Amino acid sequence: MGIDISIVEKETGVYLIALKGEINTQTYQALEDKARPTTVKAKAVVFDMAQVNYISSMGLSAIFRIKLAVEEHSGTIALVNMQPKVQLVFDTMKILSPQIFASMEEADDFLDRFLDGVQTGQISPKNLPGKTK
Amino acid sequence: MGSFVLSKIFPSDLNKIPPFIENIAKKVLSLTGSDNDAFKVKLVLEEAMTNAMRHGNLLNPKLKVFVKISVGKKKIMLQIRDQGKGFNFHKVPDPTNKKRAQQPCGRGIFLMRKFMDEVTFSGKGNKLRLIKKININPA
Repeated sequence: MGIDISIVEKETGVYLIALKGEINTQTYQALEDKARPTTVKAKAVVFDMAQVNYISSMGLSAIFRIKLAVEEHSGTIALVNMQPKVQLVFDTMKILSPQIFASMEEADDFLDRFLDGVQTGQISPKNLPGKTK
Repeated sequence: MGSFVLSKIFPSDLNKIPPFIENIAKKVLSLTGSDNDAFKVKLVLEEAMTNAMRHGNLLNPKLKVFVKISVGKKKIMLQIRDQGKGFNFHKVPDPTNKKRAQQPCGRGIFLMRKFMDEVTFSGKGNKLRLIKKININPA
């Protein structure tokens, strides 16, 4: 199974990347390649994972590299709507847990506080706002 | 369908992995009725075959990866062997350590250890045996 990647700019500098399919050894490069033009300029990238039914360590590494690229210019990422088995892989690896959200509303709240905090100089990618729930 | 043994030889071509592991996952799901077991077997098989092709055989298409899958009533055993130089499997760093979090390596082996009941490297590090306990549905 391949991967479908849809990228839309929700608001200035905030991108929604909706993924459908598997992020595996065959598809991770397509994700990185397609996301790259966005990641070099984004203030925030939100991954909608609702239709991702499988992720391997190659997929984890791809998302991690995107995170690092966005953080290079003081942006951040959020992941929402994960299926339980995909969430299990993230939980097992103990990565990105502060940036995983059950719903788009929670992610939006996080990003609002992040972007406000960056503007006021109180928050950086290495000093994320906490979750409200 | 009951127990089975399957042996297959692959060139070091990552594109060969997804269709193969998808097929194995379907077989495991059919045998066990466990979506969770099928997911974990599929994942560790991808990790093991990717490591064998990428890190073992260095993606040299002339070098092969040998896969044997044995499914019994109570366990599934995956054996993967590559033709590379091997590695020191005693010195794989913990990828969940915060100091290592930025590094890309070691995540596959970590997932194998978490999702399988036994993970054994042997030889010079180019032979891997993975065992997971399963319950086959009665026919």
